[in-house]
Amino acid sequence: MMGELIYFLRFQIKQLKAGTFISQTKYTTDMLKKFDMDKAKPVKTPMPTIGHLDLDGDGKAIDQKVYRSMIGSLIYLCVYRPDIMLSVCMCARFQANPKECHLMAIKRIFWYLVFTPNLGLWYPKGSTFTVHGYFDLDYAGCRVKQKSTSGTCQFLCRSLVS
Amino acid sequence: MKHTLRDFGCVQNKIPLLCDNEGAIKLADNLVNHSRTKHIDIHHHFLRDHQSKGDIAIQHVRTEFQLADIFTKPLDVSRFCALRRELNIVDSHNVA
Repeated sequence: MMGELIYFLRFQIKQLKAGTFISQTKYTTDMLKKFDMDKAKPVKTPMPTIGHLDLDGDGKAIDQKVYRSMIGSLIYLCVYRPDIMLSVCMCARFQANPKECHLMAIKRIFWYLVFTPNLGLWYPKGSTFTVHGYFDLDYAGCRVKQKSTSGTCQFLCRSLVS
Repeated sequence: MKHTLRDFGCVQNKIPLLCDNEGAIKLADNLVNHSRTKHIDIHHHFLRDHQSKGDIAIQHVRTEFQLADIFTKPLDVSRFCALRRELNIVDSHNVA
């Protein structure tokens, strides 16, 4: 016999009367321990308001392997943590030649995760199936190539689906 | 997504797509006056096609209620937390 689904692919799932809650708390704490960040000072946002990164050609180069493994771990966390999506994706663009300032940006994301390890997505129970989408654009926001950033999210009733 | 939902038996026409740029909405509504907007890409025409077919409806939303802001630009603490709550990202201690 199969029981109720509570832990699957490192997602923790809580099924309640009012809805379903999916989080990655254990994964987050394990990841923070792995990168030796669990004792770091917590911050409230994953990136500063002037957070756009540039190539920083003169900066000190850092170990690509560590940088990439950090990015990889964070991208998996993005599945149920869309709040860090923007900052992780911005750091991921500099994987080819990471410098010290990019590492600092990644560390800032970890500090934010120290502050909020328990967050997850809440899917309230609902009866209607209506879709609505939001679309936004940061025109020429990228400091490297002046490209624009676009962001979308779709809701099915009150739940975020993509 | 619409097609998936249709497979489940839920049909919805005119899915609202909320955007905070009125200029962009006007452009999508209006087929003429585009001498200055020739550079607009094929996917914009894709959107416009769907709008004219009635699959989607592009509507205006105030910047305060633009939930996709969190995916495009770095925000300050209060706005970030507000949008995070709107996206239904909550602390596990608050659900039980």
